[in-house]
Amino acid sequence: MRVPLAWRNLVADPAQLARATAGVAFAVTLMMVEIGFGNAYIESMVQLIRRLDGDLVLVSSVKYQFDRVSPFSRRQLYAARAVEGVASVRPLYMKRLESVWRNPQDHTLHAVQAFAFDPDQPVFRLPEIAAQLAALRTPDTVMFDRNDRDILGRVDAGTETELDRHAVKVIGTFWLGPDFFNDGNVVMSDRTYFKIFGGTGADGTDLPDPEVGVIKVAPGYRAAAVQSALRAVLPGDVTVMTKQELIDQEARWQARWSPVGPLFTAGTVIGFAVGMLISYQILFSELADQIPQYATLKAMGYRNAYIVGSVAEQAVWYALVGFAPAWLLSLVLFRTLAAAVVVPLRMTVDLTVESLVLALGMCLLSAFIAVRRVLKTDPAELF
Amino acid sequence: MDGAIDRTNGEPVVRVDRVSHFFGDGDSRNQVLFRNCISIDAGQLVILTGPSGSGKTTLLSLIGALRSVQDGAIRVLGQELAGLPPAALVSMRRNIGFIFQAHNLFESLTALENVKMAMQLTGMPAREMRARGVEMLERLGLGHRVGYLPRALSGGQRQRVAVARAVVSRPKLVLADEPTAALDKESSSVVISLLKRMTVEDGATVIIVTHDNRILDLADRIVNMVDGSIVSDVTLHDAIRICELLRATDLFKQLTPAEITNIAEKMTRRVFRADDVIIREGDPGDLLFLIGSGEVDVSQRGPDGRSAVVATVGTGRVIGERALIVDEPRNATCAAATEVEAFSLAKADFIAAIEGSASFKNQIQSIYFQRQ
Repeated sequence: MRVPLAWRNLVADPAQLARATAGVAFAVTLMMVEIGFGNAYIESMVQLIRRLDGDLVLVSSVKYQFDRVSPFSRRQLYAARAVEGVASVRPLYMKRLESVWRNPQDHTLHAVQAFAFDPDQPVFRLPEIAAQLAALRTPDTVMFDRNDRDILGRVDAGTETELDRHAVKVIGTFWLGPDFFNDGNVVMSDRTYFKIFGGTGADGTDLPDPEVGVIKVAPGYRAAAVQSALRAVLPGDVTVMTKQELIDQEARWQARWSPVGPLFTAGTVIGFAVGMLISYQILFSELADQIPQYATLKAMGYRNAYIVGSVAEQAVWYALVGFAPAWLLSLVLFRTLAAAVVVPLRMTVDLTVESLVLALGMCLLSAFIAVRRVLKTDPAELF
Repeated sequence: MDGAIDRTNGEPVVRVDRVSHFFGDGDSRNQVLFRNCISIDAGQLVILTGPSGSGKTTLLSLIGALRSVQDGAIRVLGQELAGLPPAALVSMRRNIGFIFQAHNLFESLTALENVKMAMQLTGMPAREMRARGVEMLERLGLGHRVGYLPRALSGGQRQRVAVARAVVSRPKLVLADEPTAALDKESSSVVISLLKRMTVEDGATVIIVTHDNRILDLADRIVNMVDGSIVSDVTLHDAIRICELLRATDLFKQLTPAEITNIAEKMTRRVFRADDVIIREGDPGDLLFLIGSGEVDVSQRGPDGRSAVVATVGTGRVIGERALIVDEPRNATCAAATEVEAFSLAKADFIAAIEGSASFKNQIQSIYFQRQ
């Protein structure tokens, strides 16, 4: 068995190991929290799309983000229904940031997302809503998202309050969750929605245009084929996507172009840089203390590749021993923060793998920079 | 110094041929070694001495393939080092044991693991590495410390671990820089005895840079460097013999033992085959020779231009000194009648010896100038 030089160097000084572990764990925690928040942010923005009960979605072609209200003409719904392989096309109406909820207890006003649909044509894959379709037909009734932020007040079936200055009665609740901009969700029938938010047309008396058309593909038809057929028939002002394509488009936009998503990416980069700095300092000082030893190895006939490998192995150990407490700390942080701010902050396998890869990259990169000094040492100087 | 020992069998372990070395570039280029030559056979324990800055460590690092040869040639263990790419120099070093002034042990590794670091380069099986490592540490009096970290060892013990690391793979060449500097008398003796035993039992060659007079007794050869040049290269066995021979000559017999020793240290052993010309009539005088063994025919050219042997001299005779003293060309030719072992002394060293001793100078004058 080879002499485990990297491991021995790692555990030789427990105090140094503790400092290194704390440093790497701090950086990894920073990255995990940033990535976690980034994921939570995106997930909060797409969670509604995930719960749409359809195979394809029809949206305005200028709706480059789901938040952007861009209704399209309902004529396209009818045109879509005529395409072979389409079982149903159901309209979803929505107001985001524009609908105002009054806290029933303290009467303060807060932004919520308002969604509406025809109870005869349900669009959500949420059992609690499905169970209340008949009740929703009653005018001025709504269902309330009980996974809301506390600021919206205590709301149960029977609660009466105002939505956009219209009196509404809550007939039930469902479980979804707010996003980073709205504090909760309210679902209602299209008629209640029309009554509260008005319609279209010059005098506002026409039914409002839908925001999303939720399309179900008839049995025996492939979604991709139906999607192609719809694209061929429908004009260019609407686009047909699979649900996953819409989720991907939204996630991409939120991550890259929204004012918030890139901040989390920047935070991750800063965490990576901080981690690199910390691990570099740790490795550099360790290597600086052992320059004569490594020079002796070179004199003995060890190649640079061995030295780089040994230092890289030590860097991997640092990443692993720092990652473990960081993972646990992040888990606790996620659970605490998720409950406090009501965002889908979750420790997932993807997040774990991504953070581990970043931790390894961070430590390895700093190892490759730090080891250069050792590689430059001239064993002849030992004499 | 053109003092290469003539060899008759086998290749030397180390052969340094007219090696010069420079540090720096451009205006700051500084020559630290000047056309040094030396050959070292297997089984020799050579001590390299000289004042600080004399170039001995530079020469040692060149022999150890730690630096690239700039000028001249160095052949080590049958491998020419000049022109070798860095990767080949690294491979070459695997055949050499290095002992540095500082122990340079990894503080994170036990004594045995530090020693094993040298063996794992050879691809030795783990069990054998352990057995040999323990055995070597035991030989160095550290059998009870194999599992200790360096910080739990004394300075002497750490240095002995470093020695074990250098020799555990039984290298054919060991290069040591002040290996006993950090050792007490007892530890020093253990280490040097081990190195000496390697030369005797394994035929290893050991070159030690040291100022430690305690270990001179075990040296086979002492090489002295000054200002980048080898100024003396004394094989101790030869030196004693040369002193005895010099004391018996008319020329040197009145010198003090110290003066004779000084001259002996500057003499270089040469071997001539039968019929080899040692001195040629008419050549300028640059060396004198003390015949150690064999017979030499002395011939002079007669008025008819033909040479004739006028004398045959043997062991203990000095030849060629006259041309050095009177500063005239050789007045006779000396050729080996049999295989001849002789010890040469350079003119400069001979003149320096004369100038350094008033009695010697008087004697020379009485012998060579008053009779003219």
